[in-house]
Amino acid sequence: MFDVASKLAGAQIVLATSCDDRYPPENIIDGSDETFWPTTGLFPQEFVLTFGSMMEIKRINLACYNVKRIIFEKSEAPEPLKFEPLTERVLEKTDRTLQHEEFSIPGGTHIMHLRVLIESGYDHFVSMHKLSIDGNALHG
Amino acid sequence: MPTVIRAKFIVVGDATVGKSSLCQVFHSDGSFFNKAYTMTTGVEMVTKQINIPDTKDSVEIYLYDSAGKEIFADHISKFWDHPSGVIVVYDVATEATFSNCQKWLDRVRQTEPNLHIPGVLIANKVDLDQRRRVSPKTGKDFASSHGLAYFECSAKEMQGVDAPFYFLANEFYKLYQERIETLKSLS
Repeated sequence: MFDVASKLAGAQIVLATSCDDRYPPENIIDGSDETFWPTTGLFPQEFVLTFGSMMEIKRINLACYNVKRIIFEKSEAPEPLKFEPLTERVLEKTDRTLQHEEFSIPGGTHIMHLRVLIESGYDHFVSMHKLSIDGNALHG
Repeated sequence: MPTVIRAKFIVVGDATVGKSSLCQVFHSDGSFFNKAYTMTTGVEMVTKQINIPDTKDSVEIYLYDSAGKEIFADHISKFWDHPSGVIVVYDVATEATFSNCQKWLDRVRQTEPNLHIPGVLIANKVDLDQRRRVSPKTGKDFASSHGLAYFECSAKEMQGVDAPFYFLANEFYKLYQERIETLKSLS
């Protein structure tokens, strides 16, 4: 298994609803939790990640701040369309430390695109610091 | 690319204090004041993008002009989730509209009790000088004791209308800057 959401594995952020050039959404998948993508006001917010190829995923690891309700959706279609529910959670508030969350994904989950929806937050602005996903590329 | 901060400002206050007029004058850059009164029955939303001085950034304001009639109170608060700022308006010629500011402010702040929501207090209709019932001092004292900035306007004369909106947008922009600094220190 390896981090299938990393830039090195060919993953790309293809949509993000907030944009501050100084803190681009690519910061989410650069492998560091020191760089981040902040939302710039209002809810909901979302970003869509497209994998380098079809993946089978086992676990999502997330580092973020002030996120309250978060929803993950997946798509197996070639284009980022037809999303289906994957998992969701209401996170606990933390004080001056990142929220670290792990989401176990049922076996046999195939995915081409991941949609991450931030429905609400504990502040006007929230941030995504690091997303890594344990999985394997599907062959054949 | 310039950064756009998005802000949802809830405009509240009693019926007929001039909430919609202020929103319309601000939104139309002072080219529109509706002399005929039309009661707002729900929430009317207008957006306007303003530039932040000395930066390339701007704030896109979503103004939620909310009905002031009590009968709509339950209905309108459903639109108030995650407010970025609050604008409380009263009519300087009608004392009751001033006493009700507390109620309106509480209602908006209750939607997110743990969140700091910046706000302004607008004393409208200052053109009605002879009929004024609420003094500037009374207004200022209420504002400062509730963490609001105080502004006087006349939507009818188009005086001072932009200032509170610009002020609040700048406050929200500053809040974003502060949060970014906090985020840099995390991890």
